[in-house]
Amino acid sequence: MGMGLVAAAPKERQVESAPAFGPVTPGEWGAGAPSHRSETGEWAIDLRNVDKMYRGKVHALRGIEMRVKKGEVFGLLGPNGAGKSTLVKILMTVIAPTRAEGTMLGQPVGHKPTLARVGYLPEHHKFPEYLTGAQVVEFYAALAGVDRATRKKRTPELLELVGMKDWGNKKVGGYSKGMRQRVGIAQALGTNPDLVVLDEPTDGVDPVGRREIREMLTRIKEEGRTVFLNSHLLSELEMVCDRVAILVQGKVKSQGTIEELTVKRQVYEIEVAALGADGVEGLVAALEGKQAARMLAGRVEAAPLGSAAGVNIAKRVGIRGQLASGEEVEVDHGTVRIATVDAERIQPTLDALRGAAYVIKSVKANRPSLEDLFMEAVTDPETGKALGPGAKKEGGAK
Amino acid sequence: MTSTWALVLDAYRDLNSKKLFWITLVISGLIVLAFAAIGVNEQGVTLLHWQISDFGGTVTSDTIPPAMLYKSIFSNFGIAFWLAWGASILALISTAGLIPSFVQGGAVELVLSKPITRVRLFLTKFACGLLFTTLQVAVFTFACFLVIGLRGKSWEPSVFLAIPLVVIFFSYLYSICALIGLVTRSTIAALLLTLLAWFGLFLVNFGDAAMIGMREAAKTNVENLEKSVARHERFATRQWEQLWLTRNTKDLPDGAPKPTPPKPPVAELDEAVPTLRDERRKLAEQQQMAQRMELFATAAVGLKTVLPKTGETIDLLSRTLRDRMNLPGDDSDTETSNESQPPDQARTVNFWNQRDPEESRKLQQRIDGEFKKRSVWWVLGTSLLFEAVILAIACIVFVRRDF
Repeated sequence: MGMGLVAAAPKERQVESAPAFGPVTPGEWGAGAPSHRSETGEWAIDLRNVDKMYRGKVHALRGIEMRVKKGEVFGLLGPNGAGKSTLVKILMTVIAPTRAEGTMLGQPVGHKPTLARVGYLPEHHKFPEYLTGAQVVEFYAALAGVDRATRKKRTPELLELVGMKDWGNKKVGGYSKGMRQRVGIAQALGTNPDLVVLDEPTDGVDPVGRREIREMLTRIKEEGRTVFLNSHLLSELEMVCDRVAILVQGKVKSQGTIEELTVKRQVYEIEVAALGADGVEGLVAALEGKQAARMLAGRVEAAPLGSAAGVNIAKRVGIRGQLASGEEVEVDHGTVRIATVDAERIQPTLDALRGAAYVIKSVKANRPSLEDLFMEAVTDPETGKALGPGAKKEGGAK
Repeated sequence: MTSTWALVLDAYRDLNSKKLFWITLVISGLIVLAFAAIGVNEQGVTLLHWQISDFGGTVTSDTIPPAMLYKSIFSNFGIAFWLAWGASILALISTAGLIPSFVQGGAVELVLSKPITRVRLFLTKFACGLLFTTLQVAVFTFACFLVIGLRGKSWEPSVFLAIPLVVIFFSYLYSICALIGLVTRSTIAALLLTLLAWFGLFLVNFGDAAMIGMREAAKTNVENLEKSVARHERFATRQWEQLWLTRNTKDLPDGAPKPTPPKPPVAELDEAVPTLRDERRKLAEQQQMAQRMELFATAAVGLKTVLPKTGETIDLLSRTLRDRMNLPGDDSDTETSNESQPPDQARTVNFWNQRDPEESRKLQQRIDGEFKKRSVWWVLGTSLLFEAVILAIACIVFVRRDF
């Protein structure tokens, strides 16, 4: 543990400089993007207009625009069939895009030599069962052009890093799924990469292992590498990712830091100790009487203010209105919710409530979780139901 | 080179993990042991220290020296049966899964994500598949080399020609197997369809040999019938001339010069010797047959030109070894003719029903002669061209496919 993975990084490797795919050369679909080439220094991955139409007219990716900063942990979210794996496979030259512009580590997407600087762990990977864990790490590093001496030196270190030191000489065929994942992560780091692309790295790993993997990711990030993470486990992404993108039906629904994405939905919840004889109307009157807010005439049935829009959360009957400063406000039983991130904006409300002799029991700043954001992204706002899995066939897409 | 060596090492480990690799090697070892156990002395053939038989006095150290015996067994059995059939089928079974397992989901992504072009990846993997046969043939050939040297007291480095030629032979089939394995991703499909293709090539090869055999049989018959017709004509002419002279000289005074008989009319010759007409009819039929067979044989050669010549590659090896190791060939004597033969009807040869051993041997010589006329470059060059086309198609499929 605590090994310096960067220290032994051979930045110059002997690799081929041939295009990844026959029919579509990098020059055709990746070398372009001169409009944002000047920014590639900042970005590990900078994608524009990535399209993939499979045979059978399934439009898996539709104009993906995504940027991953160097040195950050970036999470790619999305329901099954959203196109996450397709996007990752395009980056790794496993799939040829129908169209793609942009760069990875400063080189056009699909530039084979760049892959020597990228570590990759695919989902549902299958390592040759006749190899030992150590041989797996060495084999894939050798395929990337890492010389023998470096492989021999680094392999035990990587196996120790992923907690597989004692199993390194055992055949992969006898490994549990979690052990295979660990070895998979070790092989992804075998090339000492600048960018690590991990597709469901915690799949099949026990909670202890997951925690270790999270710590590992943090360490990798601290060493200056970029991590591109594809996972279903939202809580884990929330813990390790600096930025996320949510992919739905082949399109990026939203992307940014978790802070950026959640702050817009932050609400302050002010809970009073007890309602008076007038009940909720008394609270409304207190707010309106001090001109802290202007409430709507009637009650509305809606999901609580601040919850993800359109998500199938039990709706409540509340009274909605607007603060004098413009923020949305909702009175629901003994709770007043104000949609704002600015604590100053709730002070007039607090004053109005205290002025009406209400006892403030608690004031909480609530932000939606990543799961809330995810659910919002994958929910059809019209029907309130989750969007179907998979990309729609061309012509059937909205 | 690091990545290429990694793939080669991986293929070796893969083969090493397969029991069939070792089973085939053990069978090869047993065959070599059996080979070494056979001997020949003045009394006949021996197996270890047991005397088996002298096969009616035809097989003794006087008739077949030990060196000749071992070389013959290696050429006629070791190559023609074991390496060309037994070991190749086992090699196909062992290696048929290499490409399908290489392109299966979960495995191929990792390899494709490395900085190696797909064409190089595929061709390296294909070459690794040939490693199996190369190792097997090399071990078997080296063991046979030792047996021929130690037991036959004749060191024959030319036996090592078996290594490249058997590997080339196997590579024709393995290219088909690799393409099918890539397209179907199924080991069973790759194996069965390759065996089917091999059977198809066998049929084409057999068809080619049959067409050539029928053509040569027809040509032999034409030649025999032409000679027979000539004999019959001579005989009939003599008969007619004698008759003519009898008729035209009976009134001549003694001592008068005999007139020269004119050229006899064909119809009268036919009347004089009734079988002449039959022979002429048969000759015309066989000439037609020879022309027809020439067309079929040309078509068969044309078809074969674009296909891999599995059988002929092995025959080429056997023939080359026979020449280099001074083994007796099949073309030992020359055709004989018998002008004084009475005008019996000519014997015709049927390729499918050869009853006369002498005629059968001659026909086989003619067929062998036709095959020998085919150049090494035609046999190997066009076969390798076929292989190159199959591999090019496979590369295109591999490069264009989304995994």
